Amino acid sequence: MRTAVVFAAAILLRVGLIYFGYTDVDYLVFTDAARFVSRGRSPYDRATYRYTPLLAWLLYPTTWGGLWFEFGKGLFATADILTGWLIIRILRRRLSSEKATNYACIWLLNPIVASISARGSSEGLVCLLTVALLWATLQRRFIIAGGLLGFAVHFKIYPFIYAASLFCWADATHVGSVRHDRKDPNRPTWPDRVMAFFTPARRILTVVSALTFTLLNIAMLRPYGMPFLKHTFLYHFTRIDHRHNFSVYNTALHLDSAYQTSATGFRIESLAFIPQLLLSVVLIPLLLAKKNLPGAMLAQTFAFVTFNKVCTSQYFLWYMVFLPVYLPDSSLLWSRRGLVMLAAWVAGQAMWLQQGYELEFLGKSTFLPGLWVSSINFFLLNCWSLSIIVEDVGASMALRAAKKNDPKLTQ
Amino acid sequence: MKQRITYLLPPGTDYDPANIHISPDSVNITDTAEAPAIEKRVTAGLSELPAELRHVLSSIHELHIRYTSRQPYLAPSPLTSRLPPGLHVFFTPLASAPETDICPLLKSLFASPTQNIKCPSTPQSFSPIPILPGSERFAHTSSHQYYTPLPKNQILAFQTFLSRTFCPGTFRGECPNEIATLSFASYIDIDFDAISHAVTLTAVWRAGIGNPAARTPAKLWGGQDGGGLEVGVLVPQTADEAEEIKLGGFLTVVGEDEYPSATMFSFPSRHHAVPQSSLDIEPSFGISFQQPTGLHPKMSITFPQHQEGEKQQEGREGFLSPPKSEGACALHAYLTLPSAVFLDRYQLSDPAVLRENGLVALRSSSGEQDLEAPEWVVERWGSAALLELSPPPPNDSADDRGEWEVSVPLHLRYLQAANMTGGSEGGRGGGEGGEGYVDLTISFPAVFWACEAEEGLKMSTNPFDRVDIGYDGLFGPRTMFYHFSPATGGSSAGGSSAGGPGVGGGGMGSGIGQGVLESVIRVPVLEPVWGGLVAWGTFGAVVGGFGWVVWGLVRGMGRGKKGGVVKKTE
Repeated sequence: MRTAVVFAAAILLRVGLIYFGYTDVDYLVFTDAARFVSRGRSPYDRATYRYTPLLAWLLYPTTWGGLWFEFGKGLFATADILTGWLIIRILRRRLSSEKATNYACIWLLNPIVASISARGSSEGLVCLLTVALLWATLQRRFIIAGGLLGFAVHFKIYPFIYAASLFCWADATHVGSVRHDRKDPNRPTWPDRVMAFFTPARRILTVVSALTFTLLNIAMLRPYGMPFLKHTFLYHFTRIDHRHNFSVYNTALHLDSAYQTSATGFRIESLAFIPQLLLSVVLIPLLLAKKNLPGAMLAQTFAFVTFNKVCTSQYFLWYMVFLPVYLPDSSLLWSRRGLVMLAAWVAGQAMWLQQGYELEFLGKSTFLPGLWVSSINFFLLNCWSLSIIVEDVGASMALRAAKKNDPKLTQ
Repeated sequence: MKQRITYLLPPGTDYDPANIHISPDSVNITDTAEAPAIEKRVTAGLSELPAELRHVLSSIHELHIRYTSRQPYLAPSPLTSRLPPGLHVFFTPLASAPETDICPLLKSLFASPTQNIKCPSTPQSFSPIPILPGSERFAHTSSHQYYTPLPKNQILAFQTFLSRTFCPGTFRGECPNEIATLSFASYIDIDFDAISHAVTLTAVWRAGIGNPAARTPAKLWGGQDGGGLEVGVLVPQTADEAEEIKLGGFLTVVGEDEYPSATMFSFPSRHHAVPQSSLDIEPSFGISFQQPTGLHPKMSITFPQHQEGEKQQEGREGFLSPPKSEGACALHAYLTLPSAVFLDRYQLSDPAVLRENGLVALRSSSGEQDLEAPEWVVERWGSAALLELSPPPPNDSADDRGEWEVSVPLHLRYLQAANMTGGSEGGRGGGEGGEGYVDLTISFPAVFWACEAEEGLKMSTNPFDRVDIGYDGLFGPRTMFYHFSPATGGSSAGGSSAGGPGVGGGGMGSGIGQGVLESVIRVPVLEPVWGGLVAWGTFGAVVGGFGWVVWGLVRGMGRGKKGGVVKKTE
């Protein structure tokens, strides 16, 4: 009953937002690309279309005109709702229906989430894929998980970071497979060790995800050729990212791009991938994935977005989607610390947005120091939050063990 | 060198040919009410040009240079065509030399040590001119286009070039004086094509220039065999046909005629001024930018309805109605935008956006089309756009301001700070713009009615015909253009005029735009002042943030271990 009410409210919220809300520029890009596709042309004929052609095909009905134009927004909003349903499925593994629904409200009734989808951003679809990936993994459905992973990476690249955490997590303990080499535990030969490391789950994950990713790319490459590779993948290596955004690197990138001769000789942003990938692909998966997979995925995403060379508000959805599945295990929910973190995150963003507004709409030159200081402030606030989250996730084994409420873990 | 000089007197002038004084090598025109408008046309064969120019021209099929002054002027009939102020170049290379680079030529003509023009090379900087589907293209339209809003006094570089080339060794006298008059010209055209093997320079001066330095006597150059000089004194007459222009007056061929011969002739004309209303005021438009401009400036094109004092009974009738009763007409604006600013062709294909801004459609958009690139990576000159504007609905009495306004949504690229660009490349105004800002100059567009002309008209029989002005090639050959004259300053644009009030500490706009056919907008830029601090500050923040997260991981592992031990002992 309660669940039905929440879903009804979530749907109403989105219908209302689509009805009254405005349309994002990205949505016009998607629908233009869909129009090109419907005429047998390439979606990359639309300048700034940088997504898989599948997205344009998904939005094919928007080309039918009239109310169908809103189809894509409806699709993204539906993805939000499905994501909420999956979140409840994940939480129901160890929480009551009522509690699971309560946590899912963080996603389902979140006005930021609802408005981003309702204005026509495709992030809702990516979030559906990543949560489905988590769900499939926790259910030990590794073929599905591998397929979802390959598809998600094809769709938006960044989910490749989850490969690391899923791989770490899928060890013998979690998969629960009984190894035959237990006969001689004292003297395992090295093939035994290798075989032990590459559990069947890990093998399936690797093969299925790589295969899905490759096959999808081949399928897209055949009709759309080099423009597909250029715009969906290679673009991310050549982009300048000089336009103002939340990223801590933005001002440095802008300066280096505009004044190459006057650069100080060292370019921190060319090494930006090191801290980013070290955290999101190496340290967090290695240290946290086995302890708490949802928490690790949240931390990975948070680290990836925080340390990225470009960051817009849509990216916040990527980690927000993991909040409902992480918070039940967290000591932060309703704690003073958690609330301060939330307030700091909102305030840091508001400070940046204020500077951005003055630049973009009032024409005030707030690049330096305003935007730079705001982005560093926001970055440090995020690092502080991330630091607390990774500590909390790292300690969560103890918490869980104390709670003893995961039947799968203790089976 | 052949010269043709035409003095154009105001309509209704009754000119006495006794005031035309003829000598064997010159003609002097006296006793005009005010200084008349003048067109001078000089045609030179290739053999009369210096060798280095001949060499450059030998790989060019067609070259048309159109320089238009920033000073507003009333267009004398029949010279009514208009272009956005600045330097326009229309160019077709020889088929055998498609990679011909004319940037060096343009630089030697128009760049000076202090004022560079942004033109790395023709293939990089020029843009192909599109052919609109459904419109048969002018047979002679050029294939490539370039534009730069030449800053103030830039024509000086061209004059320096001319006097170096044609008046070697002299700094005084007729030759330099002749070149000096170009400072006062309203527009200058240079035309070359490989078929005629001749270069034509046409300059037009508006009527009423007081300065005597703007006028030189009509004189045969280089003595009797100087190629000829034809002088006309012409007065526009009421034409018999709506599409025609009729001129009457006197023609003199210097060295042949002892007396001026009277003449009266008419011809169909491609270009006309928008017919005046009963109030005898030239139909005009003004531009302004809605303040604050931000990173998405919106250009307003305002058509004032001149109804001083009591409101006329006729209301809006006749205001912005098509100038021609037969054949369809549509109101257009032709913009040439420097690369620092652009319009989004996708945004302008949205019917709702078009309606909201009083636009019918973006008919053509060519040149730089990148919607994201910053100024410093763009090599093309910028972009040209032809917009169809919606005229006010008939009998609309809602607008009490008595004007009609449409707007063009534009977007700025990110720019480099002023001191980094070496003067005023790419359309920067003369002003530095101040710390954190750059002043960007946007020229007035050309605004006109394009109307269907009657079939079979021979526009090219017009001795004053002007083609290759950018937008003409975007219409069919049977198109007539009725031009609005651009107006500055005293427009009724309210508080949103070009030099509008400042915002915040920066002080938006400036006085530079006053009285000239351009608007200046102030663009925020990132100054390279704190380069080192930004680099090291960012580095420090990233290292600190990274360390903070790692420390969180370490703390978590410590606490987790304790928990793990607890679990194992369970």
